[in-house]
Amino acid sequence: MNPALRRMKDLPSTHLLGAGSAMCAGCGGLLALHEICDLLGARTVFVNAASCMTLLASYPFTPFRGSWLYTAMASAPAGAQGVRDALDILSERGRLPPEQDLTAVALTGDGAATGIGLSATAGAIDRGLDFIYLCYDNEGYGNTGQQSSPATPLGARTATSTGAHGHPASKMDLFAIWVAQRPAYAATVIGADPLDLARKIDRARALKGPRLIHALAPCPPGWSFDPAEGVEIGRLAVKTGIWPLKEYVDGRVVHTHVPHPRLPVEEYLKRQGRFRHLFEPGRDTRVLAQIQSQVDAYWEQVCA
Amino acid sequence: MRRLLTGNAAAAWGARLARADYVPAFPITPQTEIIELLAQWFGSGELRGRLTLLESEHSMLTAAAAAAATGVRVFTATSSQGLLYAMEMLYAVPGWRAPFVLVNVSRGLASPITLESDHNDVLAARDSGFLQFHCASCQEVVDSVLLAYRLAEDPRVRLPALVNLDGFHLSFTREPVDLPTAEAAAAFLPPFESQGIEFRAGRPVSQAVAVLGGSAYSYFRYETHLAAEQALQAHGAIAAEFAQRFGRRHDAVERYRSDDAEIAFFMIGAFATKAMDAVDRLREAGIAAGLVRPRLLRPYPAAALQRALAGKRAVAVIDQNLSVGKGGVLHGELASVLYGQPDAPLLASYIGGLGGRDISAGEFFQIARELQDAVLARRVPPPRLLYTAGELRQMRNLQAIAAGERGMPEARA
Amino acid sequence: MYRIRLHGRGGQGIKTGSRILGSAFFGAGFEVQDAPVYGAERRGAAMSAHVRAARTPIRERGVITRPDLVALVDETLLQVPAANVLLGVDAASVLLLQGNGDAETWRARLALSGTVVVLPAAGERAEAELGGARCAGAAARLAGVISRPQLIAAIAQELASLGPVATATTTAQALAAYDAVAPHAGVLRESRPAAATAFAAPEWIDLPLESARVAAPAIFAAATSVEVRTGLWRTMRPEIDYARCNRCAWICSTLCPDSAIRVRADRSPEIDLEHCKGCMICVSVCPPQAIRALPERAARARELAAAP
Repeated sequence: MNPALRRMKDLPSTHLLGAGSAMCAGCGGLLALHEICDLLGARTVFVNAASCMTLLASYPFTPFRGSWLYTAMASAPAGAQGVRDALDILSERGRLPPEQDLTAVALTGDGAATGIGLSATAGAIDRGLDFIYLCYDNEGYGNTGQQSSPATPLGARTATSTGAHGHPASKMDLFAIWVAQRPAYAATVIGADPLDLARKIDRARALKGPRLIHALAPCPPGWSFDPAEGVEIGRLAVKTGIWPLKEYVDGRVVHTHVPHPRLPVEEYLKRQGRFRHLFEPGRDTRVLAQIQSQVDAYWEQVCA
Repeated sequence: MRRLLTGNAAAAWGARLARADYVPAFPITPQTEIIELLAQWFGSGELRGRLTLLESEHSMLTAAAAAAATGVRVFTATSSQGLLYAMEMLYAVPGWRAPFVLVNVSRGLASPITLESDHNDVLAARDSGFLQFHCASCQEVVDSVLLAYRLAEDPRVRLPALVNLDGFHLSFTREPVDLPTAEAAAAFLPPFESQGIEFRAGRPVSQAVAVLGGSAYSYFRYETHLAAEQALQAHGAIAAEFAQRFGRRHDAVERYRSDDAEIAFFMIGAFATKAMDAVDRLREAGIAAGLVRPRLLRPYPAAALQRALAGKRAVAVIDQNLSVGKGGVLHGELASVLYGQPDAPLLASYIGGLGGRDISAGEFFQIARELQDAVLARRVPPPRLLYTAGELRQMRNLQAIAAGERGMPEARA
Repeated sequence: MYRIRLHGRGGQGIKTGSRILGSAFFGAGFEVQDAPVYGAERRGAAMSAHVRAARTPIRERGVITRPDLVALVDETLLQVPAANVLLGVDAASVLLLQGNGDAETWRARLALSGTVVVLPAAGERAEAELGGARCAGAAARLAGVISRPQLIAAIAQELASLGPVATATTTAQALAAYDAVAPHAGVLRESRPAAATAFAAPEWIDLPLESARVAAPAIFAAATSVEVRTGLWRTMRPEIDYARCNRCAWICSTLCPDSAIRVRADRSPEIDLEHCKGCMICVSVCPPQAIRALPERAARARELAAAP
């Protein structure tokens, strides 16, 4: 670990991502992105998939101090591949001085990461593409009004999971899908814990090959909570064990924070409108118990 | 030096002579030989650069355009279903104004799935913003790839280009091809210039940015159209230079014995050489027939076509494609530029060669006869599918088996 | 035909207001069109909605450029040029404005020759979330062709999915607005479209071919987004009490999603109000609770008062 990242005050104090982008007030994805940009610096090219963050830039306004390329929902990793290959070719020819080289970063939402763009992602990992894959995960198709995606958690109400018990399926495990392909690095992060995030970005930056940064992104409109509570909800996701902070490096998964004691999942769920139906008018004990037992089972296996 | 090459090999040679830096690839019949040859050459060092096998054509096109936007010369190739799988990006990337060349090996589209050629695949890309070249011989394939790079990379144009060759009839068919030397090709096609559209640390650029509102959208879309129109002028000069250097003239519109013709065939692609043959036989029979073949379909050489066809009595458009519910695509396109022109010919529509179905010499002769009749009657026949009673009888046999009514005649014997 | 344009911010119920008004007209026997217009912006950003009502089928479409009524839920949008609040407002148009001050002052301030009707403010929350419904209620009365029961029925229909509590609250607010503008009932008149002989010819040009570098949607500069004043989205404003701030120098600044809190050389934070969207995360994460939330309108009023 970089010894310079021990305390909050070791984090960068200048912010590279320009203000004025069209993300919602309190966007948990933007929070993680700006923290990551501060650390990666401007020698980056973000290759964007269709998502809320399509509108990070809208002509002639861009928040980036480095570069950006918008592609399509399915193929941001392939865009990163083209950019990386081209930079390598130029470099081999002596047409790219080392100081002009860039880090390619694919930037996608959970919909692209777990659904339409999964084969492009798997292909890029398989080819050993030297890139960082940043998924901000707001657990649904946020830009279109929060329909269910494969990343939507059990019980959440979305625009397309409106039944009494909310979303009927469990959240797809993107981290595990990556780890199964033995990438150079994979980590889960959350903007609400900037120090843990910074250490992981620092580690990822030093490696080559496919690197996943998977950020849980509390979404005020999509999850239905007051924007002011975004960081608190993020912290609760960690403290309840719902969002394990971990990394895969050197062939091993390590948890960078083991919540102890773990708060009941309800502490996290009851703060969000998307889970309100589990508490009102009556408690949905079956779904609540199911969510708690999934979290318990996860941590039992981790701590075994 | 002349040597025997398939159309696929000619396409690969085009990329090699253009010194393509980067080839993102994905295999599909009948294109595969192109990327296999290129992979060999990258492997042996005969080509410098990199071939990357993507996991789909959609990704392949994204990587191609992203690399072009980073400032290298890119070549890629696909066919049929692959072109359609990439269609989202095919329409997206011309607006990036990062030129590269895509070869399409034409093959009919599902359903039903088939491996043989027609032009519905490439015509689905008609309105995408790619410049479109259509080849009738293996020689034209290699020449067109070089021409396509020159035109696509022209500072006034900067649009990607698509070079089309027919599956089987060109892709797998060997013909004598006069390959330019590497030096001559390099003299014709200078190294790729990014013109500042590239990704470099220290020079931030955000590319392919969203717009809000129809005015900004209209501006950017129409600029690609103006650039494509500009390509028509630029093509004239580039083709002339090519002719001077290599002795082969590839105009936007090829006219074969059409200047003094009274009736003409109008078609694109490999079967156009069959039409040339038919023209020769018809001329021997005293019939003043000719062929007009656009090599450039986008930009559409409207003025050249008007000039080529003014004063003809009747023209048969032979469409190797089908716009379902409308008919032949090229027929409608040609009608739109001839409408209201003085001396415009009668225009008849034939659909032929779907899914690789042959067009026989007799069919060309019969079409010529119908055109002559149309001139006398001053009325064109209704659109016709080239399809014979014999074919339908065959079809009935197949249907009977499919319905479980009987086996093949041989099987029963 | 009545042509009515509602202006507000995302989250102020503009779309709901336009639908209530549309349904109310429809219930009163009119042909109707209603539609919101969204940009890329999010909660707090300017948006508009368009309602047309006529006694014959409506064939016009899209944005209303010559409004008979502009209903403005949030007067701070007058400072946002892109919101285009006064587009096409002329002597025959009525401006309905939710806010403080009297109509004459607003007329003078905005240099309007037509009618201005002020809908008195009804508290921050009602304005923030029910502004659209309040303006719909007022607009219904200004048109003078929609009865109270028709308005109530329209609200019940549009809010059915939100439950009885939301319906009751909205109905109360809309009816209060309906009653408040009673002295102006009928001031809104139907207008006819301009004659085909009286139009300004469009200044069409032939678009020139331009170099690919400028004719591609590409931005060759860094962080131009700072030109976008997302601070105008804000309805609440964070304010730092520097006496309580412990100069941690990082927490609020790092956790601000919008990079809108800078750390000064003396380790004190400074909020960039041009860009702060008012999420109030800084207020909730500050360990010594040195940041408080103020209603934006009150903060602006205080600034105006303090100005020389």
